[in-house]
Amino acid sequence: MNEFRATLAIVRRHMDRRFAIDWGMQFGIVALIAYAFTRTFAHPVLPLLIASTLAAASAAEKSHAESLRRLSFFAMPLYGRQLARAHAIAPCLLALSIPAGYALGSALRTHEFPAPLFIAMICAALTATLVSLSSIFREGLRAWLYVALAIVVGPIVTLPYVLRPAHETAIGLALTVVIGFFALRGFSETLARYDPI
Amino acid sequence: MSNGPQHGLTIFRAVDVSFVRAGIDLIAPFSLALDAGADADLIQPNARAASIAARICAAIVKPTLGVAYVGDFETRLQPPQAKRMVGFVDSAGFAGDDHALRCEVAFRAEVWNLDKSAAQNRANEVLAALGSGVYARAVALALVADVALVVLDQPKSGVARRVRSVAPGAAIIRTLAGET
Repeated sequence: MNEFRATLAIVRRHMDRRFAIDWGMQFGIVALIAYAFTRTFAHPVLPLLIASTLAAASAAEKSHAESLRRLSFFAMPLYGRQLARAHAIAPCLLALSIPAGYALGSALRTHEFPAPLFIAMICAALTATLVSLSSIFREGLRAWLYVALAIVVGPIVTLPYVLRPAHETAIGLALTVVIGFFALRGFSETLARYDPI
Repeated sequence: MSNGPQHGLTIFRAVDVSFVRAGIDLIAPFSLALDAGADADLIQPNARAASIAARICAAIVKPTLGVAYVGDFETRLQPPQAKRMVGFVDSAGFAGDDHALRCEVAFRAEVWNLDKSAAQNRANEVLAALGSGVYARAVALALVADVALVVLDQPKSGVARRVRSVAPGAAIIRTLAGET
C-alpha cells in the first residue's frame, strides 16, 4: 500500500473548486473585518480569538462535515490514523486563509502587521482546526463541546506571544506542535471508532 | 500479492456477529461462512439493518459482538487488510455521470494503489456487462480492484447473477430487507 499516494489523492479530493471558493471567501471576509476594525482590535488577544473562533467554526461547518462523512472514505483500505492525517490537511490549509486575510486587511489599514502576531494567529488557527475536527463525527452537545474546546485551546498556544517570555515564537510553535499532535491523535481515534450507519 | 479469489478457501467468516446501538439490537446475532465462488443471502428485517449488515461484512462497520473475518483478517483489528479484499456496493448506487465515474475510478485507483488505465478498463468491462444504471456504476467502482468478496447492499433482482458473470471466482454476499 502506497500511503503517500492515497493521502495525496484524498487531499486532492478535498481541495476542489469548492475549497478554492471557501478559501477565497474566508480570506476576503476576514480581510474586510480586519480593515474595518483593526484599530478596535488593538489588543493582541482579540485577533487571536478571532482566528481561533473562525477556524474552529470553519472546520466544524456542516457541508464540510458531510463531505468527510461520505461512506466511500470508510470503505478505503486505510487505518483511522492514515485517514485522519489525509482529512486534516485541507482544513488546515483552509484555516491559513484567516491569518492571511487578517494580515492583509490590517496591513492595508495601518501599513504594518507584526510578524510574531501573524505566526501566533497561524498557531491559534491550526490548533483550533485540529481540535474542532473531532466534533465532525459527534452529535449534539458533545460536538459543540469540541468546538468550544477548540475556541479555548487555540488562544492557549499563543500565550507566549501575549506574555512575551524569551523565545516566545519558538515556545508558541512548540506548543502548537504538541497540542496539534494530540488533537490529531484524538481525531484518528474518533475516526477509528466511528461506525458509518 | 493478489487479493483475487482462490477456490476452496474461506473468504468470509462471521461468528455470532451482532450490532447494538443505544441499547437496541439493530442486527440480531448471525453466523456465516462463505468460500470463494459461493453466494449467500443475508436477510434482515428492514432496509437499515440490511445496510448495517452489508457494512459489517465489508469491514466498514465494526460488529458490537462476535467476530468477522475477510480472508485471514479480523475486520475489527485489521480493517485496511480486510477492506482491500472487498468490493462494497452501497444500496444508493453511484448517481454521478460518466465524468464523475471516471474521476471516482481514478481516485479509487490512487487510494487502492492500482494502475489507473487498468482500473478504467476494468470499470468499462463491468459496465459493458451490467449496463449503465446507478447500481451498475457502483458495481463497476467496487470491482476496479481485484477483490475476493463482493458485498451487495440490497441489489435489485438479477444483479447478483450479472455480478457473478464479471467476478466468477469471488464470494458474493447479498443483503436483503423485509424477507423474514
